[in-house]
Amino acid sequence: MIWLPVLGLLVGVAVGFVSNVQIPLAYSSYLSIAILAALDTVFGGIRASLEKAFDDAVFLSGFFFNTLVAALLAYIGVQLGVDLYLAAVVAFGVRLFQNIAVIRRIAWGKVGKRRGSQAGVKQM
Amino acid sequence: MDGEAKRRNPRLVWYLTGIAAILGFMLTVQITNRPNNTTESGLASYLDLRSELVELSAEHKTIMSDIARQSAALAQFKAAEGSDADMRRALERDARSVAAQAGLTPVSGPGITVEIRDDPKLPFNQEYAGQFQQESDQILSQIVNDLFANGAEAISINGQRLVTTSSIRLVTNLSGTTTLQVNTYPVTPPYVIAAVGDVDHMRAALTVDDVVPLLQLMQEDCVIRVHPGPRGVTVPAYRGSLPGQWAKEVSHP
Repeated sequence: MIWLPVLGLLVGVAVGFVSNVQIPLAYSSYLSIAILAALDTVFGGIRASLEKAFDDAVFLSGFFFNTLVAALLAYIGVQLGVDLYLAAVVAFGVRLFQNIAVIRRIAWGKVGKRRGSQAGVKQM
Repeated sequence: MDGEAKRRNPRLVWYLTGIAAILGFMLTVQITNRPNNTTESGLASYLDLRSELVELSAEHKTIMSDIARQSAALAQFKAAEGSDADMRRALERDARSVAAQAGLTPVSGPGITVEIRDDPKLPFNQEYAGQFQQESDQILSQIVNDLFANGAEAISINGQRLVTTSSIRLVTNLSGTTTLQVNTYPVTPPYVIAAVGDVDHMRAALTVDDVVPLLQLMQEDCVIRVHPGPRGVTVPAYRGSLPGQWAKEVSHP
C-alpha cells in the first residue's frame, strides 16, 4: 500500500500544475514556511507509526494547525519587522532531521532483525 | 507506511495519502510561483516592486487623462473649424487648461502640510546637529520629490509654488550669511510645505522615509498635518517669470 501516498503526492502535484494557482509574491514566504511545517508533521506521523504511537487526531490536527500557525508566525514577523520565520525554519528544520534520524534507525533495526531471523531459519 | 503499518492502523495510509496530495499541491504552487532569479532586475524587495507598480499606475492614469484631454481639445478644434469665435473660445479653454497644468493658477483640495522649525529642546546629537542648516535645500528637495512621486499634484514652500523650472537652493552671500531660496525668492524658517494630492500616499511616503525622526535628530521639529477636506490645502499660483520670456522656440523651416 506504499503506492497510495505516492499516488496522492502525484495527484497533488498534477492538480497544482493543472489549476495553475497564482499566489501573490508577498505570500510566497508564508507558503514556504507552511510547507516546512507540513513536511515536519508528515515525518512526525511516519515516525509515530513506526514507534506504534500513531494517533489519527494528533496527526491531522498537527498537520493543519502547524501549517497555519507557521504561516501566521511568518506574517506576524513581517508586520513586526522581526524575522520570526527564521525561528520557525530552525525549529521545524531541527525536528525534521530528528524525525528522519529516528525513522532511519528504526528502519535499519528492522532490516537487521529480518536478516538475523532469515539467518536463523537457514541454520535450522 | 507498508503492509505492516496498514494492518496496525489502516487509516494511516489513507491519511498519509490525503496529506501527501495536499503537500504535493502546496509544493507545486510554491515552485511554480517562485520568482525567477535570472530575470530579477535588481529590485531589492517587495516594497520596491509595489512602489514601482504604484508609480507606473499613476503614470498610466496621467497619460490616459492627457489622452482624453487632448482628444477633447481636438474634437473642439474640429467642431470650431470655420468659426473664428468658436475657435477663439476653444483656444482660450486650452490655454486655461495649460496654465493650470503649468502651475499658473492657485489650486486647493485635500492635502497635507509639513512644518519644519528649529527646536533646541530636542536632544542634541553631535553627528546630526546643524546638518539641516547646511543641507536644507537637499533635504527639502528630497521631501518634495517624495511627495511628487507619491500623489502630490501641487506643492508650495512658504507660499512659493513649485513648477517644472523651480529651484530650491542655499545661497551664501559675501558676508557668509546663508539663505534658502525657493524660485529665487528667500524663505525663512519655519518652512511650511503645502501639498495637494493623495493624502494617504503622501503621508505613507513620509512615514516610510522616516522624515520626522531624521529631522528630529537634526534638532528640527517636523509636524505633518493632514487636511482631508475638499478645500483642505490651498497652493498659490506660480508668480515667477516663465522660461518663454527669454528663450524662444526654434522655428524649423
